[in-house]
Amino acid sequence: MLCSHCNKREANFHYKQVNNGSYTELHLCSDCARELGYLGAGEQSFSPGLEDMLNEFLGLTKQSQTAGKGISCSCCGTTFAEFKKTGLAGCDKCYDVFARDVESVLSRIQPSTTHKGKIAGPKGEQIQRQNEIKELKDKLRMAVMEERYEDAAKLRDSIKKLEENNGGETNV
Amino acid sequence: MSEWFNDTGMQNDIVISTRVRLARNLKGIPFPHKAGEENCRKVVALVEEALSALNYKFTKVDLSQLTQTQRQALVEERYISLNMAECKRPGAVFISEDKTVSIMVNEEDHLRMQSIFAGYESQKAYDIISKVDSYLAEKLEYAVHPKYGYLTSCLTNAGTGMRTSYMLHLPAIVNAGIAENLFAAAGKLGITVRGMYGEGTKAGGYLFQISNQITMGRSEEEIMTNLSKVAENIIAKERELRTKMHKQKGVVMEDQIMRSLGVLRSARLMQSKELLTLLSNIRLGISLGLITELDSKTLNSLMIETSPAHVTNENITTAMERDIERARIIREKLVKG
Ligand SMILES: [Zn+2]
Ligand SMILES: [Zn+2]
Repeated sequence: MLCSHCNKREANFHYKQVNNGSYTELHLCSDCARELGYLGAGEQSFSPGLEDMLNEFLGLTKQSQTAGKGISCSCCGTTFAEFKKTGLAGCDKCYDVFARDVESVLSRIQPSTTHKGKIAGPKGEQIQRQNEIKELKDKLRMAVMEERYEDAAKLRDSIKKLEENNGGETNV
Repeated sequence: MSEWFNDTGMQNDIVISTRVRLARNLKGIPFPHKAGEENCRKVVALVEEALSALNYKFTKVDLSQLTQTQRQALVEERYISLNMAECKRPGAVFISEDKTVSIMVNEEDHLRMQSIFAGYESQKAYDIISKVDSYLAEKLEYAVHPKYGYLTSCLTNAGTGMRTSYMLHLPAIVNAGIAENLFAAAGKLGITVRGMYGEGTKAGGYLFQISNQITMGRSEEEIMTNLSKVAENIIAKERELRTKMHKQKGVVMEDQIMRSLGVLRSARLMQSKELLTLLSNIRLGISLGLITELDSKTLNSLMIETSPAHVTNENITTAMERDIERARIIREKLVKG
């Protein structure tokens, strides 16, 4: 498949996002992915290499992940093999320990791998707002990429407003 | 308020019940299947303590103190899952005083809380369970991930941890032979349809459970709206086909419905499977206005009160004895009424 931005190079990053209930898929080559700002914005939950970070961030649907072999969760003792076999996490830490597979499984069964919606309790609101900002930023990137500059401007304003309300927290 | 099966709700000609379930786990404690007995007991104690300060009162049911039949009865009333009934881990279920909310502790997740109502009542069910959830979130530290939301044992529940489901009665859709296509189409929209009793379109009593598949990346509201849209389409189709079926089959259909009532009122032996079919006919008869002396509430309670564990006691242990007892309960309810 060719990159949908430059139409020249092979696309090796497949970005999936939900807009008003329908999927948008973007297929980019690594050069364009970098150019459009998809690089370097990954999650900091674990420290993988550049490509892993992209996989994580872009929700890549890689079928076979073998890198996790031999890993086990120090909190609950779940091994990688066990996790693969049962599809069950043994504790909350498992989600970070088996991060790559978790992301890959989730991206296959869910429209997006970022939670949207209620988070009850003291920290809930802050997390919720951060996720909202993150979603808007993803949309902004899309808008810029597709040269929808009016939409992009609107999105930028909404992000700004949310970030101000969030006490200047911008590291999302 | 009483149990969902002794109540009646919106669109009860087709929607038997609505259930909203939230899955939650506690931070830093392995999930039930990895927790070990001590941790499991600790979670039960934590939940019990958290609930004790709430004005909305819960009764704790210690599952290890119940017989297999008593557990099964709770499954039939849908307060616990079959998994929970068979689970060997220390666990409990907390049931609210108005019998609307139940919280299973140490099923697949530390907490599985649900709210269940008769009829089409997703908003009501969600509001209540969300309130209980918000309250517990102040008392317990939930396992929440900044990106993934609520973490659950099985990845298919992570995110909102929410599963909303309707129990629908769909005889006309099945009889028209369009069930498979309709359910497949629902599947493409992220909605699962499966038989309540038995699998596929041969589901006993034409009862189906329709629920959301997606739990992450969309808000509770979006998920429920999507589910309701599909459900309402199915409901509208069922209504349309019922009228059509009645027009086409006329007296043949009416005869079948009224005979079913006759059988229920006079039978001396009644098996569960036959009862499901007969109840389905009666429901159809009520919705077409052929039977006016019964309502969905009576049928719902009949369905639950005649299920296997409910008709079992120290004197009634064999299948034959259960069939006799079942027929007796039905006669008592229908002939008297
Ligand atoms: Zn390119
Ligand atoms: Zn673990």
